[in-house]
Amino acid sequence: MGRARTIARRSFLIGSAAIMGGVAFGTYMVRRPYDNPLAAELPDGAATFNPWVLIDSEKITLVTPHADKGQGVASAQAALIAEELDVEFGQFEISFGDPSPAYWNTAMAEEGAPFMATDESFPAETTRGIMGGVMKLLGLQGTGGSTAMPDSFDKLRRAGAVARETLKLAASQRTGVPVDQLQTANGAVQLPDGTELKYTELAAEAAEIQPVADIELRNPSQWRLIGKPMQRLDIVGKSTGTLDYTIDLDVEGMVIAAIKVNPHQGGKLNGYDASAALAMRGVRDVVEITGGLAVIADNTWRAFKAADALELDWGPAPYPAEQADHWEAVAASFTPDRLDSEWRNDGDVDAAQAEGNVFAAEYRSPYVAHAPLEPLGAIVRVDDDMVEVWTGHQLQRQLQVLVAGITGHRPEQVKLHNQFIGGSFGHRLEFEHVKQATEIANQMRGTPVKLVYSREEDFAHDFPRHISTARGRGTVSDGKVVSIDLEGAAPSVIASQMGRANIPVPGPDSQIAAGAWNNPYDIPSFRMRAYRVPELAPVSSWRAVGAPGGGFAFDCFLDELIHQAGADPMEERIRLMSHDVSRKVLETVAEMSDWGSELAPGKGRGVAFVESFGVPTAEVVEVTATDRGIRIDKVWVACDVGTVVDPVNFENLVQGGVIFGLGHAMNCEITYSDGMAEQTNYHAHEGMRMHQCPQIMVRGLENGHKIRGVGEPPVPPAAPALANAIFAATGQRIRELPLWHHIDFV
Amino acid sequence: MRKIAIAAAAMLLGAPLVWAAGENVVIEPPAEGSVTREDGLAAWDRIFEVASHPRCSNCHVGEDNVPMWSGPSYGEARPHGMNINAGESRIGLEYVTCATCHFERAGLNDVPHAAPQVAMAWQLAPVEAEWFGKSSDEICNQLRDPDRNGNRTFLDLAAHLDHDLILHWAWNPGGGREPAPYSLQAHVDDVLTWGVAGMPCANDG
Amino acid sequence: MQLTVNGQVHEVDVEDDMPLLWVLRDELGVTGVKYGCGVAQCGACTVHLDGMAVRSCQIAAMSAEGAEITTIEGLGTPGTLHAVQEAWIEHQVAQCGYCQSGQIMQAASMLDFNAEPTDEDIDLVMSGNLCRCGTYPRIRAAIKTAAAKLREA
Repeated sequence: MGRARTIARRSFLIGSAAIMGGVAFGTYMVRRPYDNPLAAELPDGAATFNPWVLIDSEKITLVTPHADKGQGVASAQAALIAEELDVEFGQFEISFGDPSPAYWNTAMAEEGAPFMATDESFPAETTRGIMGGVMKLLGLQGTGGSTAMPDSFDKLRRAGAVARETLKLAASQRTGVPVDQLQTANGAVQLPDGTELKYTELAAEAAEIQPVADIELRNPSQWRLIGKPMQRLDIVGKSTGTLDYTIDLDVEGMVIAAIKVNPHQGGKLNGYDASAALAMRGVRDVVEITGGLAVIADNTWRAFKAADALELDWGPAPYPAEQADHWEAVAASFTPDRLDSEWRNDGDVDAAQAEGNVFAAEYRSPYVAHAPLEPLGAIVRVDDDMVEVWTGHQLQRQLQVLVAGITGHRPEQVKLHNQFIGGSFGHRLEFEHVKQATEIANQMRGTPVKLVYSREEDFAHDFPRHISTARGRGTVSDGKVVSIDLEGAAPSVIASQMGRANIPVPGPDSQIAAGAWNNPYDIPSFRMRAYRVPELAPVSSWRAVGAPGGGFAFDCFLDELIHQAGADPMEERIRLMSHDVSRKVLETVAEMSDWGSELAPGKGRGVAFVESFGVPTAEVVEVTATDRGIRIDKVWVACDVGTVVDPVNFENLVQGGVIFGLGHAMNCEITYSDGMAEQTNYHAHEGMRMHQCPQIMVRGLENGHKIRGVGEPPVPPAAPALANAIFAATGQRIRELPLWHHIDFV
Repeated sequence: MRKIAIAAAAMLLGAPLVWAAGENVVIEPPAEGSVTREDGLAAWDRIFEVASHPRCSNCHVGEDNVPMWSGPSYGEARPHGMNINAGESRIGLEYVTCATCHFERAGLNDVPHAAPQVAMAWQLAPVEAEWFGKSSDEICNQLRDPDRNGNRTFLDLAAHLDHDLILHWAWNPGGGREPAPYSLQAHVDDVLTWGVAGMPCANDG
Repeated sequence: MQLTVNGQVHEVDVEDDMPLLWVLRDELGVTGVKYGCGVAQCGACTVHLDGMAVRSCQIAAMSAEGAEITTIEGLGTPGTLHAVQEAWIEHQVAQCGYCQSGQIMQAASMLDFNAEPTDEDIDLVMSGNLCRCGTYPRIRAAIKTAAAKLREA
């Protein structure tokens, strides 16, 4: 199928993005900047140059609107501004800022555009531009899709440069020294005679000047901060127990709430008896919320205990009660009427597979929980003229809309105090906990309510990653892989997630096919079709979303075909690779791991490559089959993000992503029985522990044209690389996650 | 111990109706000679059901000092999570003491999947008493071998069951765990029956 | 009951079976100690009881009466860091950071009785502390750095 037809067929996605906002738009609307939210309540003598920089006579405040759930973006955003503003760490404060359309995410459209990330053709870039315009019109502020750095990289450096040049202009006006003779460093403008004028001293004058618009970003060779190790701004607080998370906050007059919501997710509360709970010490009240009850108490443990004492009569779940029926629904969806989209059709698969020797295999990827270690929660106080919310959230403006919808306020009357987040992995894109806290607080206006999820409630209501099944058919010839026909079926995570936020998203769901269709291999015949399974259990974005399941299926199947062909797993991947930057990633990981060198008996190496969020990522896993099970010894990772902002934080995130991918591949799943998640705590959904953690060697390449985020891309290749390594060590092919159903781990 | 001594003395005197009240159970052995080998072996089979039950055998592990986990949400019995190793001390002194989580506590820790706790130090059984995965004959022979049972007579074993509170937990494990079969009292009675029968094992010639 | 936390004596009026964790957090406002699972699966609530690392979610506050309770706040402060905290900062261990109070308390306790832990020792002692972000390689490196600092001290 030609490119033009492909575009035409997919163009309704772009249209649907416009429908999503209910807007018709023109170039002017897209170009017009949003008002600077910092300007709204600017005190006298304070200067703001754009939505990210605020300077008064006392201090410099940098606004870092991307939510920090552990990935270090508060620091990284500040560093981008500081790079051009010429301030050093320690000379400024940071703030997550108020939600504002001015903080719309300029990079989120990329993943939604129906093109391979490696496709930089005119139609692809044009489409991204249009979708970016839609995002702007929606004022979509958000953190997700590994977009914090792509969104911020130019924008925040510009913000710093604009502020710097405006401060220089103010200094010039005060001193009469021409701007081109002024230097900046350490938060001050330097005059030729060495005199320093601190930015804070210049704020009042700078406030009177129209911000300088004509700036040039510095050449990378001049960077002081970017590309070098930085001490994260939150690192001391997080190493001394002095950084407060939402769960640690104490708002004056606050009460604690614990909830019991129908564990048959979406089911009703038919009836209840709260008398025992109400009689318990410290319990103030029991109130109804959607699908359940909330206990109000003076202490979290008392609230938990009283919640456990509630007698509740739950209605059934709106989805199949037993896990086997979920899998059956997936299996029954490989039908023409459920075809969501044909994402790729290179060559002629039908002809290639018309005669003989077609190898077929099926892969499965389970529901998996996010289970961030800080349990979900929020503090909400509802007053008649405003609502205040303290929580850590990734979609700040949608949160305002949903809260206001419950309390009857206008969205702009909802004040969000965004917080450092104790882990998310996608769960803090969801709103249920905030809505529940709001429902409670709305019934006791004037009193701040802190909702804390128990871990058991968190597991019961973790909208997990979607389940998926993929079926591959492939052929090999002359030692080469020649055709792959891959079909994937899954419920739509986007429909489920956006549905809960009242945002309809028509069109195909790219995440059913992610990781499976978009790897830039030049396989002579390659077709990838995605089938949409009718909604089952509610599901949500889990770190890397569709790519872990799709990547597991695609890469393991490719590995099996390479084995059938008798080729070397690394060499054949490199031979098939059509994208230079990606090929370099594979070559690098081969060199790092000394691929092809002798291994001791019982050991095996596996490689996998998955592109997600624009980051080609290759991982080699080395395992030993011991008498107590598989031990993962070493992992080598190479990925290309265009520019590495902080090599230390980068390494940490990549290692963490690998561990996240391996740990869940080993032993994590959510299964439903009687309509409820069977896993209630970490004993049954453990992930990786210290003793299982391999050595992980990381290399970040910078050959790509665009800067990319690395929060998610290390996750998808981990599972297939591990499964391929287990095959290499044992001869056992495992096509179903989690792997421990089939093999033990040390 | 004193009560047991009295009971044992009474037995020696051939006074069949003399019995001792333990602190937690009644220790009343059948009269000497009143139990057939068959009845003794039947009692042993019940003892083995208890000994091989996860509530008991998970902590009667071998010299790797690794306790086991089992139960409906754990799949097959598997090593205690978190890479726990109780060390040669059998109470975790070398690495992470059992008491890090299994704190000494009066009253039951009834929270599902929390750390079981009793009013004495949580610990593994001595390595000589390795039961996990062992056959009925293997456990039977160990339990009657003074070199491997703490130099205990069957009456001492009964007293041990009476006094060691950690053992009682097996029949009242809380947290939704499946208790060991029968009851503490029935188990003690079986030990006494087996003992009076001469501690027979099925592999005896 | 009276509890001694980071050298200070507090009088608290709570149920006998309220876990120490919640007395510290909700009654005394000592929030460096974290709730993660409530069932000794994650280690985020680790504190020292007379120098021994324990999971404060599993200890009834009553049982801690008379003991010296040390939390992360008592181990060291941003101004006066403990060697383990220094190492944690040098290695930039934390991502979300929520588990790190517990990790640091467990590591500090280990180093009290094992001045030069091997990789195997670290595997045996630290595997009860769950990190969802996957900072284990850095935790391991930081423990070794901290051990060296403490040996030199």
